[in-house]
Amino acid sequence: MVNTNRVAVLGAGTMGSGIAVVAARAGCPVLLYDVDAARVERGLGIVRSFFAKSAQLGKLSQEDADNAAARVGGVIELDQLNDVDVVVEAVPEDLNIKKQLLTRLEAVVSPTALIHTNTSTLSVTAIASTVRTPERVVGTHYCNPAPLMKLVEVADGRKTAPWAHEATLAFLRSIGQVIVETKDRPGFILNRFLIPWENACIRALEAGLGTVESIDAAVPAALGHPMGPFRLLDIVGMDVHHQVSSRLYEQLRDPRFAPPPLVERMIAAGDLGRKTGRGFYTYNDTRLFGS
Amino acid sequence: MAGTFQRIGILGYGKMGGGIAQVCAQAGCEVVVLDINANQIAAGQARVADFLAEGVRRGKVTADQRAEVLARIRGVEAAEGLAGVELVIEAATERRDVKRELLTRVAAAVGEDAIITTNTSAISVTDLATSVTRPERFAGLHFFNPAQLMKLVEIVAALQTSEETVTRLNGFVGAIGKLPIVVKDRPGFLINYLLMPYLNDVIQELDNGLASAEDIDTAIKLGLGYKQGPLELLDLIGLDVHNHATHSAYEATLDARFAPPALLQAMVAAGRIGNKSGQGFRTTEAKA
Repeated sequence: MVNTNRVAVLGAGTMGSGIAVVAARAGCPVLLYDVDAARVERGLGIVRSFFAKSAQLGKLSQEDADNAAARVGGVIELDQLNDVDVVVEAVPEDLNIKKQLLTRLEAVVSPTALIHTNTSTLSVTAIASTVRTPERVVGTHYCNPAPLMKLVEVADGRKTAPWAHEATLAFLRSIGQVIVETKDRPGFILNRFLIPWENACIRALEAGLGTVESIDAAVPAALGHPMGPFRLLDIVGMDVHHQVSSRLYEQLRDPRFAPPPLVERMIAAGDLGRKTGRGFYTYNDTRLFGS
Repeated sequence: MAGTFQRIGILGYGKMGGGIAQVCAQAGCEVVVLDINANQIAAGQARVADFLAEGVRRGKVTADQRAEVLARIRGVEAAEGLAGVELVIEAATERRDVKRELLTRVAAAVGEDAIITTNTSAISVTDLATSVTRPERFAGLHFFNPAQLMKLVEIVAALQTSEETVTRLNGFVGAIGKLPIVVKDRPGFLINYLLMPYLNDVIQELDNGLASAEDIDTAIKLGLGYKQGPLELLDLIGLDVHNHATHSAYEATLDARFAPPALLQAMVAAGRIGNKSGQGFRTTEAKA
């Protein structure tokens, strides 16, 4: 597989490392950037163990897996990203952090490099508002875990140029992703519909329309969802759900997006979901995806 | 035999009534289906026979089993033909006046011990319960379409419904191989109460140009793992059916989340009501 796009991923957390895996697996040389060596090393560790697992499971040959892992390098200086073709920003979901980083980045990368922002709840236009070349900034929202989820939501900011949009689609296709095109509106498609749905389920629970167990049994049986809303919330984490909900509510001022009071009570009690051993359910094992 | 009920009466031999009749007969019950004339009954029987023939073709049931199931279902044109049934499941037209008149007539024919249920999705069960004597034996038994394939059955406890009635229906639903959940008598019960605002929201955002119908469905399926996208689901349900259901819920609650979006009303007005009309949000005539 030949993919000559040189890719930089900003942010070596779960999302950033996952996006690095997707690009490297498609043949792109990838530089994974974060603010210090420890974070970069942690991200590279995620990349290496993903490819080791791929080889173990027979998804990739040992050779392909080794080569893909070797395509990902780590950097802690933005200057080293001077000759990349595509930058994918996947740093924490904080508007100021993203704006500042992109402003510094644009001084370093070539004027034709695409700048992608992997935001889920912020405005692409706002993220691009302090760069001098907002025409090449495009929103590309990957799903978690990125190496396993094919979907990317693509949203242009107000100043995104058609050439950047087209080049973004071509790049995403070249790394094997499935694209849906949407608008720079809060939550894009997925969170726009998921968050009010989850909040409605939480409110139905509080209103006594069912129990955690009955609602979680009924929804997959009647609607073909892979799991019930409360199992999903326990995986997502109540803190994360609260943050995403609040952020969408702040932008939309629509009460369906406001986190229901039960969410705040659960957070106050430390019942965040699987990661704390208790959310809507109680767990002995706090790992999210098996071993 | 399904739980404590051996003889089941179904009111209405439409798609839903026929599906429920088949499910009960497959569980070993004797089923009597009431409809208004011989033509309706013949059409209902033919639908069940076809459904089971497809099951034979796919190896889900044997030809003998098909014959046995069909032999357990009998059509009748008069309510008196239901005498002796222990459980009635009403699956007639979704109109309050039609259901009330029918339930009153049937309650008189089946006797005071029979449990009487309605498969309504849009009418208050508590209201329908007042159309029969001994309303404590009345409840909602809400199957999903197609009843043969959908696992979930909502048992709707009206204000009048007794504990005993709920317990017996719970046993029955389990015995016919379905998953029972007990829900309150609210517009939409549980599933449609959650589903309708979500579908309305999707229709409104489609109209607002958030994304194409295809991209919305793709995002929901790939991103959330749902078996169906919301717009293809609407085409399957029927836009007219959804419009009626959400309009009923809106009238009952005056909750704006249930208000039929303008685009939904326009699609219904234009006759673009989904798969059955060959045109909907995702269906095009070429495909149908």
